[in-house]
Amino acid sequence: MLYVEKKPEKLIDENGLRTDGRRPREMRPIKMEVGVLDRADGSALVEWGGNRILAAIFGPREVHPKHMALPDRALVRVRYNMAPFSTPERRKPGPDRRSIELSKVIRNALEQAIFVEKYPGAAIDIFVEVLRSDAGTRVAGITAASLALAEAGIAMKGLVAACSIGKIGDVIVVDPGHDEDMWGDADMPIAVMFEDRLITLLQMDGPMDESQFSEALSLGMSCCELIYELQKEALRRPFVFVERKVVGGDQTV
Amino acid sequence: MLRGRLWEGIKLYEEESIGSSLMKEYMLKELKNGRRIDGRAFHEIRRVEIRPGSYTKSCGEAWLSLGGTKVLVGVSADIGEPFPDTPEKGVMVSNVELLPLASPSFEPGPPDENSIELARIVDRALRSSKYVDLDRLAIAPGKLVYLLFLDMYVLDHKGNLADALTLATVVALARSKIPKVSLSSDGTPIVMDEQIPVPVSDPVINFTFVRIGDYILLDPSLEEEIASDAMITMAIDGQGRVCSIQLRRGFFRDVEIKKMYEIAREKRKELMSSLEGVLKVGQETT
Amino acid sequence: MNKPEVYVKDREIVIPGQKMARGMTPGDNVYVDKDGFLRSSLLGLASLEGNKVDVIPLASTYIPKVNDLVVGKIEKISGGTILVNINSPFTAVIIPPRNNKNLGLEVGDVVLAKVKAFDGMSSPLLTLEYEGLGKISGCVLLEIDPAKVPRVIGRRGSMLNILSSKTGSEILVAQNGFVVVKPRDHKSLMAIMKALNIIQEESHISGLSDRISRLLDTILSGGS
Repeated sequence: MLYVEKKPEKLIDENGLRTDGRRPREMRPIKMEVGVLDRADGSALVEWGGNRILAAIFGPREVHPKHMALPDRALVRVRYNMAPFSTPERRKPGPDRRSIELSKVIRNALEQAIFVEKYPGAAIDIFVEVLRSDAGTRVAGITAASLALAEAGIAMKGLVAACSIGKIGDVIVVDPGHDEDMWGDADMPIAVMFEDRLITLLQMDGPMDESQFSEALSLGMSCCELIYELQKEALRRPFVFVERKVVGGDQTV
Repeated sequence: MLRGRLWEGIKLYEEESIGSSLMKEYMLKELKNGRRIDGRAFHEIRRVEIRPGSYTKSCGEAWLSLGGTKVLVGVSADIGEPFPDTPEKGVMVSNVELLPLASPSFEPGPPDENSIELARIVDRALRSSKYVDLDRLAIAPGKLVYLLFLDMYVLDHKGNLADALTLATVVALARSKIPKVSLSSDGTPIVMDEQIPVPVSDPVINFTFVRIGDYILLDPSLEEEIASDAMITMAIDGQGRVCSIQLRRGFFRDVEIKKMYEIAREKRKELMSSLEGVLKVGQETT
Repeated sequence: MNKPEVYVKDREIVIPGQKMARGMTPGDNVYVDKDGFLRSSLLGLASLEGNKVDVIPLASTYIPKVNDLVVGKIEKISGGTILVNINSPFTAVIIPPRNNKNLGLEVGDVVLAKVKAFDGMSSPLLTLEYEGLGKISGCVLLEIDPAKVPRVIGRRGSMLNILSSKTGSEILVAQNGFVVVKPRDHKSLMAIMKALNIIQEESHISGLSDRISRLLDTILSGGS
């Protein structure tokens, strides 16, 4: 074993700071970019802390094998996959139990937002590739896939934004990082169609009492609102960019 | 550096599964006039760029684009037993993933013949040129060696994956740093904090040619690959020697093969001078 | 009925789920939620005309409609049917008459055809039995986003007119987003590709025809 995880002495220090220097309610830096791939119908790259997540959409397209097609709605398929180089220790390529489960819950989280009845008989394929993993890959993946769906021109009721909430000792923290993911006391990923305040993914690991849970849930909603704002900005950015280029007569870009 | 589909939406229509007689007809007409449909000269390589930033957790990586083709290669390291037939050498494993997000014709699942062929093309170029000094990757010869995993991800398929993957792998290896390992007196490995570069030599470069009619083109675009009658990939090392060849489809004449070798040797020099900064051994990935 | 309220400007970029108006008439790509808000179902451009609220898509998929003119590529010929790729989730079929099994077509050929029947579930049926339909040769096939077809054609064909007259090339834009070009020369083709690219990219900004005209003049007057 070449890479051994070292547990930090404390996850929160005497000044209330976390191992990466953040305060409990501080998110990691997030960058979103839409349209990074050429061949896909829609794509997005999300850099979230140390995560690098690439999502791409193909569809609506013909279903293969044909018998899987649904007569009244689109077949939505999700493949969440971790790259072999996404962790310090190499991962064996191919799906494992975790990635199969995550593909399922991510599919549900996104499917709620898609007007599936508009595409009967067709498939919408969603690929989420974790290139670099740093805690919270599923929520970053949902955030990226939702952007890619919008770019692909798929009809949706709204965007899906996602974030994770954690617990260290008795402190509720937002957006757990790597150390907190490994040694924290609770983790609760949540995905929300923010305009409608509908929760489409909720998982939880580790106990929380009543007040902790209600704090975590409302913090989760606020974090998703922030992610939603960043998503909107990322979708609009290319148009603003083109408009500036044309209106400003700047042809150098 | 990367521009999205929305902004390059117009494209020549192509599909891997079926050849287009229409496209080929037009291509041949243009080749007769001395040009390729994207305006390149016959032996001109598309623009090579490395995207800045870190996208993996490996010990060395490169997100490289060759024209519209985009690949991401990460090198992962571990320690373990050597292969019994090469007890004194480190182990290197090559793996290509044709991700379903790179092309509508790629499907999820275990590697198919195309991805295995690509992985072996890259692997053979690296081995026969001795790009990585596997002897220096032995920690305790016969017992403990470094294992290097070369994982090559195809992100966007716009033609000529072999050359893009080889180049990205060469860059990723040149940038790789692995933890130093020493042995305690009883032979158990001790992983140190110190990082050492992966020992590499003069880069080996793969060159892929296609023949369309009687025309030989270097670095085929996807449209050209589909329309081509024959395809070949050859690796050239730092001394201008040819190190590995794979005739992948169709046939070539002997004179054509000699000619392609000449071209590849010339092009290697050209490419190396444009890549000077990128290939610096041990360069930081960020 | 509530007093009409509008929350977006005409030609503003809207995001899926964005509230656009209330008490107005929902048009294309707009849905009404349970509280009566008109919301966009797409990433697109808001379009406000009178009382009607639409979203013009920026990217879309071709869904066949009866009588559409489409360009297709022959994918497979077998057992009395010809399968045609029409840039859609649905592969179309041509059923040739029994005495002429392949209609002189080969795999890889490109045809201009008309959608004869489509019920949303079984394969769309194409026909070649009208004047001017059939195999196309000696051309280049390009693909644009089906959502951009109206922009490439322009009002009463104005944009298409500019493209073909300035470049001296024949251009056919099919409803499914396939564009067939018979270019005068290489430079014309490059100019057309560049122009199509810009039409797709900048269709949300006014003055498009003028910009395309100027662009074509610049490319075509420059040295080769």
